[in-house]
Amino acid sequence: MSKIGVFVCHCGENISATVDCAKVAETASKYDGVAFSVDYKYMCSDPGQSLIKSAIAEKGLTGVVVAACSPRMHEPTFRKACAEAGLNPYMCEMANLREHCSWVHEKGEATTEKATDLVRILVEKVKYNQSLNEIRVPVTKTALVIGGGIAGIQASLDIANTGHKVILIEKDPSIGGHMSQLSETFPTLDCSQCILTPRMVEVAQHPNITLYTYAELESLEGFIGNFKAKIRRKSKSLDEKLCTGCGLCTTKCPTKKIPSEFNEGLGNRPAIYVPFPQAVPNKPVIDRIHCTYYTKGKCRICEKVCPTQAIRFDQEDQIVEVEVGALVIATGFNIKQTDFFPEYGYGKYPDVITGLQFERLASASGPTLGEIRRPSDGKIPEKIVFLACAGSRDPAKGIPYCSKICCMYIAKHAMLYQHKVHSGKSYVFYMDIRAGGKMYEEFVRRAIEDDGVNYIRGRVSKIYEKNGKLIVNGADTLLGAMPIEIEADMVVLATAGIANDGAEELAQKLHISYDPYRFFAEAHPKLKPVETNTAGIFLAGACQAPRDIPESVSMASGAAVKVACLFSQDELTREPIIAVVNRQAPPAYSSCVGCFLCVSACPYQAIEKEEIRNRNGELIKSIAKVNPGLCQGCGTCVAFCRTKSIDIQGYTHEQMYTEVLALLNEY
Amino acid sequence: MDDLRKRAKELLETSAVKVVIGYEQGTANKTRALFVEKAEDADCLIFDSRCVQNLATYVTKREVKDKGKMAITATLPVMRSIIQLASEFQVNDNNLLVLGITPESKLVEFKNLSEVETFVHQYQIEIDAKNKEMLDKIAKMTQAERWKFWIDELSPCFKCYACRAACPMCYCHRCTVDFNQPQWIPVPSHELGNLEWHIMRAIHLTGRCIDCDACYNACPLAIPINLLTKRMLEDVKINFGSYQPSIKADHLMSTYKPDDKENFIQ
Ligand SMILES: Cc1cc2nc3c(=O)[nH]c(=O)nc-3n(C[C@H](O)[C@H](O)[C@H](O)COP(=O)(O)OP(=O)(O)OC[C@H]3O[C@@H](n4cnc5c(N)ncnc54)[C@H](O)[C@@H]3O)c2cc1C
Ligand code: SF4
Ligand code: SF4
Ligand code: SF4
Repeated sequence: MSKIGVFVCHCGENISATVDCAKVAETASKYDGVAFSVDYKYMCSDPGQSLIKSAIAEKGLTGVVVAACSPRMHEPTFRKACAEAGLNPYMCEMANLREHCSWVHEKGEATTEKATDLVRILVEKVKYNQSLNEIRVPVTKTALVIGGGIAGIQASLDIANTGHKVILIEKDPSIGGHMSQLSETFPTLDCSQCILTPRMVEVAQHPNITLYTYAELESLEGFIGNFKAKIRRKSKSLDEKLCTGCGLCTTKCPTKKIPSEFNEGLGNRPAIYVPFPQAVPNKPVIDRIHCTYYTKGKCRICEKVCPTQAIRFDQEDQIVEVEVGALVIATGFNIKQTDFFPEYGYGKYPDVITGLQFERLASASGPTLGEIRRPSDGKIPEKIVFLACAGSRDPAKGIPYCSKICCMYIAKHAMLYQHKVHSGKSYVFYMDIRAGGKMYEEFVRRAIEDDGVNYIRGRVSKIYEKNGKLIVNGADTLLGAMPIEIEADMVVLATAGIANDGAEELAQKLHISYDPYRFFAEAHPKLKPVETNTAGIFLAGACQAPRDIPESVSMASGAAVKVACLFSQDELTREPIIAVVNRQAPPAYSSCVGCFLCVSACPYQAIEKEEIRNRNGELIKSIAKVNPGLCQGCGTCVAFCRTKSIDIQGYTHEQMYTEVLALLNEY
Repeated sequence: MDDLRKRAKELLETSAVKVVIGYEQGTANKTRALFVEKAEDADCLIFDSRCVQNLATYVTKREVKDKGKMAITATLPVMRSIIQLASEFQVNDNNLLVLGITPESKLVEFKNLSEVETFVHQYQIEIDAKNKEMLDKIAKMTQAERWKFWIDELSPCFKCYACRAACPMCYCHRCTVDFNQPQWIPVPSHELGNLEWHIMRAIHLTGRCIDCDACYNACPLAIPINLLTKRMLEDVKINFGSYQPSIKADHLMSTYKPDDKENFIQ
C-alpha cells in the first residue's frame, strides 16, 4: 500500500494569490494512499525541505508529490531532499501549480479545482513510480579530431594543452587546410603561412598529440565518453621512421607533370611529393594513381635514389583502432570550380580563375613567386575583374546562402593586386558588400578609397573571350542598370563555398545530421553552435558553414572547452529517464518482434540489435535494445512500437495511462 | 501449373527447402493454404484465379518457420508483402525462397529477395476504380457525414480479428490491442472500442500496407476496412511519392530526418 505525502507550496504569493492552497492540501489528504498532506509558504526553503524530510521519516512515505513551481526550477532540489531522507529521488514528482495554473488563471474556485486535478494525477502516477538509479558511464579521456585545417589544429592544441590526449587525423599528406594556401589574410594582411606554420609545428611536436596524416575515419561506434573509432592510414609507400625528409626522391621522380592540388592546378608536382615546403610532416607520399611504377609496373627510381631506403612499394593501408571519449569534426569546406558557370565559360578560359587560384598567384610560395601573372601566357594583367557571389545567393544555382568570406577576400585580392601592379585597374562586381566583423568595413573602405579599386554594384551576365581579352558584360544597378562592358585580362570568380567532398558519408559514419547543403548541423543555431545532435561530437570551423579564420579558430576553442568539460569528469552521470525494451522469460525473451522500425525512428541512433543465442551459439531471436549511453528519453520509439515493447523509465505506459484516467476522474 | 508442382517436388526431394507453401482445392469450390512437406504431396498444389489469399501471412508463423527453409507460391501481392516483411527483418534469403507467379500466370523462380524486389518494382500499386470512387465519395462528405458513415460501417464489427489474422503485416506476437497493462485500446466492441481498433490498425499499416485486400476478404461481415488502408496509401502517395515496399530504402513512417517538415501539426 502506497503512503504518499503531498506538499503544496504557496510560492510566496505566486501560487496562493489565485489558488486556495490549504484547500488543495486538504482535498489531497482524502485521496486513496495519501498518508500526509500539508501546505507551506516556501517549500523550497530549508524549513520547507525539512517538512518533507521529517514526513518521510515519521510517516514512512513511499512517494512524494510536491505541488509548487516548474520541475525545471526545483525538481533537483526536492529529489535531493527526498534522497537525503532515504527515499529514492525518483519517487518524488512535481505538480506545476505555478506556470500551469496560478500564473495563467484568475483567482477562483475553478483555479483551485485545476490545482487539485494537477495534484491528483501525480498522486496516481507516483503510485506506479519505481526506484531508479542514475546511469554512470566512464569517460575515455582521449579526443579524436578529424581534419587538420586551422580549426582542427586549434582544437587539437587547446585540448592537448588541458593535459588530455588528442588523435588528429588529416586526409591529405600535410595538415594546414585551406589556410596554408592563402597568401595574406584579411583584415590585417598578415602572411597566412607565417602565422600558421608555427602552429602546425606545435601540433607535430606536442607530446599529447598523435598525428595521422593521409588518414581517414573508417568507422565509428559507441557513444559519448566511449567511442571506438577505426582509422584508415592510407599507405604513403614510405617508411616514415627511415625517411629524413631530404626530398631527393621528389626531385628525381620522372613523373612530374601532375597538377598540384596545393597550387590549385596552377603548377605541377611529381608523383612522389610533399605538397608544399612547410608541410607537416615534411615527408613525401607516393600518389599511386599517377606513379609510373603503380600504373605501368616499371620505374622505382625514388627507391634507388633514397639514401635511407625508406621507400616501400608494397606497403598496405593500415587500420588503427582507437578508443576516444569525444570527437571534434573540423573537415572544413571547399569551393565551386569555374566549370560550374556556363555563363563564364564553363572553365574553358584559363584566365578566368577562382579565388583560391588567385591566392596561389599572390603567394610568395606560389607558382609565380607572388607575381600576379595570368595563367594563359604569364602576362601581368593590366585590367582585372573580380566577381563576388559567383554561385552564392543564387537559388537558381541551388546555393541560396551567402558564402560569407568572399566579400572580404575579394577586397583583399583587389588590394593585393593594386599593391603589386601599380598601373593596373581593378573592378569588383558585387551584390552587397557584407563586411560585418571587427575592422572589416574599414578594410573594404581602404580598398576602395586608398587603393582605388572600382566597386560596381551589379551582376555579370556573361564573359567571353575575344582577341586575347576577356569581355565582361555586366550592369551597374546604381546607375539604373546601365550596361557595362569591360575588356579584362583576367577574371577572378569568388565562387561559392560549399561542403567538403564526402561530407555526407562522413556525417553518416558519425551519425550526425547535416543541412540541405551538406554542411554539418549544429544542435542549436544559437545556444549550441559547436554541439551536434550526437552527444560527445562537436563541430569546429568551416565544416558547419563557410567561415573565416577568426571564426573557425573561436569555434575550435569553443569545441575544445566542451571536450575539456567532458574530460573533467571520470564518469558521466545521466538521468535514468531513458527507454527500455522489455525482457521476458524464454521462449519469448521479449514482446519485441524485432521489426527494428524503431531503429530508424530514433533521432539519436540509440537503438541497437541484440541477438539472443542458445548455448550452441545459434541465433534464437533478434530484438531491439536501447543503449543507455545514447538514449535521450525523447519517447519517439515508445509511440512508434506496435507491440508496445518499449517504456520510458519514469514515464511508463502504465504511468501515463493512470495520469489520463486520474484526469478524467475515473478513480 | 505443372511446372509449379514439378519444381516443388524437386525442392523437397533435394531438401533445398523443408516446406512449400501453396494453395490446394478446398471445400465448396474454395481454395485453401497447403503446406507441402513431402515430395509426393506436391501433386495437390494448384493455382488459378481463385487463389487470392495472401500466403505471406504464414512465413512469419513459428509453426511454419520452425520447419526449416520455406518456399512460397507468390503472386504479386504476396511478393510485395514478402519484400515489406524482409525490410522488417522477418524473412531473409536464408529462410525463404520465392516461387513467383507473374500477373500472366507464369512461374518464375527468384535467386534471392533482391531479385523479387526488382520484379515487384515493375508494377505500381494502383487502387482500382471502384474503390477509388468510394474514397472520393467519402472524401467529399462533410465531417459529420463521414463520422456517421464510419460509425455505421464499423459498429457491427465484433472484433473477431480475422482481418488481423489475414494480414501479413500483422505478425506481432503481441498486438497493441492485446497489450493490457494498460489497456490503451478498449476490449469491448462498442462504438469507441471499434473505432479505436480500426484507426490503430490503419495507422500501424500506413507505409507498410501493400493493398492486397486480405483484411476485407477475411471479414465475415464484409466491412470495408480496406478503405481505411487505401486512404492511407493515397496519403502516403501525396506525402512521399508513390510507395513501393523495399528492403533497403527508408521506412516511410519511421525514419527520423532532421529536416522533416512537421507540417501535419496545423
Ligand atoms: C579564396 C579564399 C580566401 C580566403 N581568405 C581568407 C582570409 O584572408 N582571412 C580569413 O580569415 N579567412 C580566409 N578564408 C577562409 C579560410 O580559408 C577558412 O576560414 C579556413 O580555411 C577554415 O578552416 P577549417 O579548418 O575549418 O577548414 P579547411 O581549411 O578546409 O581545413 C579542413 C581540413 O580537413 C581535412 N579534411 C577534410 N575532410 C576530411 C576527412 N574526411 N578526413 C580527414 N581530414 C579531412 C582537409 O584536408 C583540410 O586539411 C579564405 C577562403 C578562401 C576560399
Ligand atoms: S518497434 Fe517495437 S517490436 Fe519493433 S524492434 Fe522496436 S521494440 Fe521491437
Ligand atoms: S526514447 Fe528517444 S532517444 Fe531513447 S531510444 Fe527511444 S527514440 Fe531513441
Ligand atoms: S474481420 Fe471484420 S469483424 Fe473481425 S475484427 Fe476485422 S473488421 Fe472486425
